[in-house]
Amino acid sequence: MAAVDTLATARPRANRTISWLVLAIAIALIVATPFLPNYHVRVLNSLLIYILLGIGLNIVIGYTGLLDLGFVAFYAVGAYSYGLLASPQLGLHMPFLVILLVAACLGAVTGILLGIPVLRLRGDYLAIVTLGFGEIIRIIINNLDWLTGGPQGIARLDKASILGIQIARPIDFFWLLLITVLLVGTVVWRLERSILGKAWAAIREDQDAARGIGINTTNAKLAAFATSATIGSIAGAIFAASQRFVSPESFTLQESVLIVLMIVVGGIGNIFGIVAGAAILILLPELLREFAEWRILFLGLLMISLIIVRPAGIVPRSFGPEKLIRGLFGK
Amino acid sequence: MTLVFQSLRKVYGEVVAIDDVSTAFAPGMIHGVIGPNGAGKSTLINMTAGSYTVSSGSITLDGKRLDKLKKYQIANSGIARTYQNIRLFDQMTAIENLEVCFYPAEVAAAWREVIWPPYANAQRRRRREKCMEILRVFDLQGYADVDARGLPYGRQRMLEIARALVANPRVLLLDEPAAGLNHHETAELTAKLTALRSPDRIMIVVEHDMDLVMTLCDSIIVMHHGKLLFRGTPAEVQASTDVQLAYLGTANDIDDIRAAAQNRRAQLGIRTRRRS
Ligand SMILES: Nc1ncnc2c1ncn2[C@@H]1O[C@H](COP(=O)(O)OP(=O)(O)OP(=O)(O)O)[C@@H](O)[C@H]1O
Ligand SMILES: [Mg+2]
Repeated sequence: MAAVDTLATARPRANRTISWLVLAIAIALIVATPFLPNYHVRVLNSLLIYILLGIGLNIVIGYTGLLDLGFVAFYAVGAYSYGLLASPQLGLHMPFLVILLVAACLGAVTGILLGIPVLRLRGDYLAIVTLGFGEIIRIIINNLDWLTGGPQGIARLDKASILGIQIARPIDFFWLLLITVLLVGTVVWRLERSILGKAWAAIREDQDAARGIGINTTNAKLAAFATSATIGSIAGAIFAASQRFVSPESFTLQESVLIVLMIVVGGIGNIFGIVAGAAILILLPELLREFAEWRILFLGLLMISLIIVRPAGIVPRSFGPEKLIRGLFGK
Repeated sequence: MTLVFQSLRKVYGEVVAIDDVSTAFAPGMIHGVIGPNGAGKSTLINMTAGSYTVSSGSITLDGKRLDKLKKYQIANSGIARTYQNIRLFDQMTAIENLEVCFYPAEVAAAWREVIWPPYANAQRRRRREKCMEILRVFDLQGYADVDARGLPYGRQRMLEIARALVANPRVLLLDEPAAGLNHHETAELTAKLTALRSPDRIMIVVEHDMDLVMTLCDSIIVMHHGKLLFRGTPAEVQASTDVQLAYLGTANDIDDIRAAAQNRRAQLGIRTRRRS
């Protein structure tokens, strides 16, 4: 017990320094962004989209402990929602916010539909079946030419606007994405701390014992799948609006794997871990662009060393938003 | 309120683990279940809690069929259990292991916890206080914020019982609660369990530690090869030659049964050390 006590009393000062540092870096980055060239803003936007995706997938992988390799399917659902409802493809030009709502609902529905058949599966089996689902959705999109434009995708998507304000330049999307990430991040963090989040953790630790204390694991898991898919779908809709083009190429298995890697490298189950994981896996390849074919090797080596040095991820599980707030504002 | 087994059977392929067991358990008492290894004691607990299905026969509580329900529904009918091999939520803190038990009652309002921070804070505080009280009963308050897997073995056993009590169950099923505990811890356990006896609770304790069973239980059933061999008070069980024969074949007094229990404890001691 003594050891536990000293740990608890020795930490607050270090925690305070780290918390202020994290906040300072975040604010500096945000303030600087409007002055960056468009190319750099685009990179940051892609970072934010991946953070959003990571937050979504982490609900299933990190909180509930279910290895889902088909997450990209929901990203595609959101992207094609925008592609079909705001383009000449079907001649529909719905407002951005309405589409966002539609995408969120469609995401939740697909999340549940894909969740039901895999309820009994865990571990490797679950990973393989969800991987299959991800691919099936991509293949369907690829072959449904009359609706989705097939491999060519859908071009000339509408410019997005929210309540009359046009969202077109990269910096506009930066603000939109930043607000979305903060909002979604807060909701998900609060969910994790709610009684539902505790049940997810219990399912992750021991599904059968969770049933033994009265948790309807079917419902709790479907809630996790649905929430996660909703977030993926929202990310997809914003992505499509910012690209003004969608095609199946953006939704390959590789994307799913990349998001899983982000979560694992950053620290499973921790929102801040996702930010760190995304920073490494999205920003680094951009920074290493000059080294062309070498960068994959670089990344591979980095991943291997990270997994050896910090097998539980870069950010410790204990350093979550709660710890940050305590570090900033005292007890 | 009574828990009733009616012509209960459980077969695993060729093995008949429970063979036509009919009996009833009254509230306000602690019921012991004893019998040699493989007698079917855990199987009885597992079927009652819904971990295993029933091959035939029925289990009813207050006349309500339990064996047709899903495991989580059985838990929500007021049946709580511990496991022969401890099953805690390892990477959750001790207090979180208890807090999560509020799920069935409070999940419907989870969305309010998300959108309304003051409500969430109040809920969290209330849950924490209630669980802290239970932890205190088991002298676990000092471990509240330690991951369950970080607790010493004996404390983990206590925490598992604490978790089973959060929902204030009508039926409490304990599968070898003293397994792997030392003398001191076993004495502590006996005291705690005695205090849990309540007029509106049925307690069933599967145990190999004969001292514990004889001091704790009001009534004992003896299982042998899946059959209910004997039922009676501790004194009647100790006097029964059938029971002695069942345990050791050639047993001639309770000391031999005790020796068997000792033996068993030694086996578990080895298993425990390997585990931690
Ligand atoms: N899941 C299972 N699959 C197949 N056979 C099983 C299973 N569980 C138990 N058995 C068998 O059923 C019989 C009763 O086992 P059970 O675990 O109920 O015994 P027990 O009285 O609890 O023994 P112990 O004192 O060793 O815990 C044994 O023969 C056992 O091998
Ligand atoms: Mg057993």
